[in-house]
Amino acid sequence: MAEKLSWSELRRVIATRAGVSEKKAGEFLSELQKQITEALKQDKVVKVNGLGTFKLQAVAPRKSVNVSTGEEIIIDGYNKIAFVPEAGVKELVESNGDTAKAKTPVPEVDPIQKLGAQATEIVDILGELGQSPEKKKPAAKKKPAAAKPKAEPVVEEPKVEPKVEPVVEEPKTENEAPYIPEPLRYPIEPDEEEKKPKRFHFMRDTLICVVVLLLLLLIGYFFLRGQLSGWLEKLTEPKPVQTEQVVEPQPVQEVQETKDVQEISTADIRKYDEFLLTEKITPGSRLAWISKKYYGDKAYWPYLYDANKDHLTNPSKINVGTPIRVPKLTDIQRDTTTAAFQALKEEAFSKVKEY
Amino acid sequence: MLTKDLIGLIASSSGLSKKDTEHLLTTTTAVVRENLMAGKTIQLQGLGALEIKERKERTIVHPRTGERTIAPSKNQLVFRPVDNLKEELKKI
Repeated sequence: MAEKLSWSELRRVIATRAGVSEKKAGEFLSELQKQITEALKQDKVVKVNGLGTFKLQAVAPRKSVNVSTGEEIIIDGYNKIAFVPEAGVKELVESNGDTAKAKTPVPEVDPIQKLGAQATEIVDILGELGQSPEKKKPAAKKKPAAAKPKAEPVVEEPKVEPKVEPVVEEPKTENEAPYIPEPLRYPIEPDEEEKKPKRFHFMRDTLICVVVLLLLLLIGYFFLRGQLSGWLEKLTEPKPVQTEQVVEPQPVQEVQETKDVQEISTADIRKYDEFLLTEKITPGSRLAWISKKYYGDKAYWPYLYDANKDHLTNPSKINVGTPIRVPKLTDIQRDTTTAAFQALKEEAFSKVKEY
Repeated sequence: MLTKDLIGLIASSSGLSKKDTEHLLTTTTAVVRENLMAGKTIQLQGLGALEIKERKERTIVHPRTGERTIAPSKNQLVFRPVDNLKEELKKI
C-alpha cells in the first residue's frame, strides 16, 4: 500500500543529514534498537522525544470458548507493546496525513459539500440505473429519499466535484448511500461547533465534582475520626482507676476500638492465608504494577505493602531483587470502598511520606 | 525510561559521545517524522514499523441527546512490532 522506508535508506538519510558516515549511523540505529528492546524488558516504558512512548502493557488472562468444541478455555495473560505518539506528532499526523497517504491530494472539503458531491454522484448513478434497473434495485430503493432533495443544489456542484471525487469513488458511494439520509437531516456544521464547548464544560464539571467529593470525603474522615476518639475519651475518662501509668496504652486501645466500630476492621482484611506466588522486584517495577498484573487493578497495592511489611520500609522505594509475596485477595479485601481499606491505604501512604 | 537515559545508554555502549548520540537521535526522529508525513512506512529493524493509518469517518451518536453526527476521518500513527519481539515480550 504505502511506500516503505527501509532500514538502509533510513541509515543513509540520517548519515547525510547528521554529517556522519553511514557505518556510524548504522551502528547508532542498531544500538538504538537494542537499547529500546532492552529498556522495554527492564523498565517497561521507553520515551523517545520527538516520536512517542513505547510501553509494555499487561493483558490480563481472560476466558474464551473453543470454537469447535464449545469448551471454556482460559487465554493466558501476556504483555503487549503499546505505542503512544507524542502530542505534537499526533496532531501533525492527524492534520497532515490526508495529503500524504493518498497520492491524489484531497483538499479539505467540509462534510456538507462532500455529501452534496456524493449525492450528485448518486443522482448520476441513479440516472444510469433508471435505464437498466434490473441489477441494483435494492440499492436504488433506498436512494431516492436522499437523492431527490439533493437534486436542487446541483447548480453549485460543478465547482466541487472535479476537486473531490475521482471515478474510483463510485463503488464507495454505493456502500455509503444508506448512511446519507440520516446525517443530512441535521445541519452538521453548527452542531459540531456547539458540541465542542459542551464537551469542555462537561469535562470541567466532572473534574470539579471529583475534587469537591474528594474534599468532602477527607473532611468527613477527619471529622468522624475526631468525634469517635472524642466519644471514646468520654467513655474512658469516667473510669477513675486509670492513672498516669495507664495513659500510655490508652491511645493504642483507642485506635483499635475506632476500627472495631467500622463493619470490617483493618485486622480482618489483613489476613493473608494464601499466597499466589512470590515475585522479585525488577528494575522499573513497582507495587502498583505488580498489583495491576495479578489483581487487575493498581489500587490494591497497599495489600502488597502490608503483606511484605516485615522487609519493606518505603513502598515507593524498593530495592531491585526484593521478593514480594503476592497474597490471594478475598472479596472483602477487594472492596476498596471499605473504611478499613482506606485506613490501610492511608497507612501505606504515610510510609511513603516518611522518607 | 526517559530519552535522557536512553541517550546515556546508547552513548556508553556504542562509544559515541552523548552530544553526538543526542544529535543522531534528534535527526533520526526528525527523519522518521518527515517520512511519515510523506506517507511512508518506517521500518525499524528488530523493532517494528511505524505507519500512518486512516481511521474512516463514522457516524456517532450523542449519548445524551441521541443526535447523530459524523466523526470525520482522521489519521493515526500506529506502531506494529516485529513478530519475534512481540513474542519475546509476551512472556516476561
